[in-house]
Amino acid sequence: MEFQTETIGDGVVVIRGEGRLNMVSGPTLRETVLREVEAGNPRVVVELSRIAFMDSSGLGALIGCLKSAREKGGDLRIVAPSTQVSMVLRLSNVDTILPPYESVEAAYRD
Amino acid sequence: MTEAKRSLLFSSPPDDVDAVHEFLEQVWQANPGIGEFDRMAFETALIELAANVIQHASGEGGVTCVLSVTSDADGLHASLSDTADAGGVVLVDRAMPDELSESGRGIALIQALVDELRYERVDERNVWTISKTPQAVEPPNGG
Repeated sequence: MEFQTETIGDGVVVIRGEGRLNMVSGPTLRETVLREVEAGNPRVVVELSRIAFMDSSGLGALIGCLKSAREKGGDLRIVAPSTQVSMVLRLSNVDTILPPYESVEAAYRD
Repeated sequence: MTEAKRSLLFSSPPDDVDAVHEFLEQVWQANPGIGEFDRMAFETALIELAANVIQHASGEGGVTCVLSVTSDADGLHASLSDTADAGGVVLVDRAMPDELSESGRGIALIQALVDELRYERVDERNVWTISKTPQAVEPPNGG
């Protein structure tokens, strides 16, 4: 899977992918986020609406990306997870540290 | 119309969990009566299992698996038989790791998603069985 990045100013970057977030695509997400964070965009929004499926490897990648962003003084927020992605977040209690936002605008409104 | 059983043979490498997703897509098409939540929970559990088997066997030079899925009145059942050495994936009751952990959730997720997860060593194969009873009884058609 390839991830598209869109910088929208103020250190915010929006990352979008389409397909499954798993042991195959997770490392690509990590590389993509790390590159953006190192380039001065530590406020990361991962737009998940086209991620139909996520497993625990994909979830681990998201958490790794969250840590990378926080290490650079930023944060990572997720937008519009599918029903399956929401289920995995809830069962693993990760929804407490990665609460879903409705839109990219809502994710960095505050 | 419900179909009794479907099987998939796959080897990693070159196959990965996408082969299991594609196989399950055929199962869902052949069994349209299975509820969306049951499909989602079962597929997530089965992918976690297959990913665990593939990942742990990657250092052994790969693995060949036979996956069978059955749908009946008791729910969905899968049997995954693999050629990896015994003990690569250890099945014990797993607590969900803390929120910031980046790994260790696979078995805990399976146990949260399905009603049964079993492991046996049979004829130099690891045999994994998972079962999920239907979430809710569908109303009978036409009484």
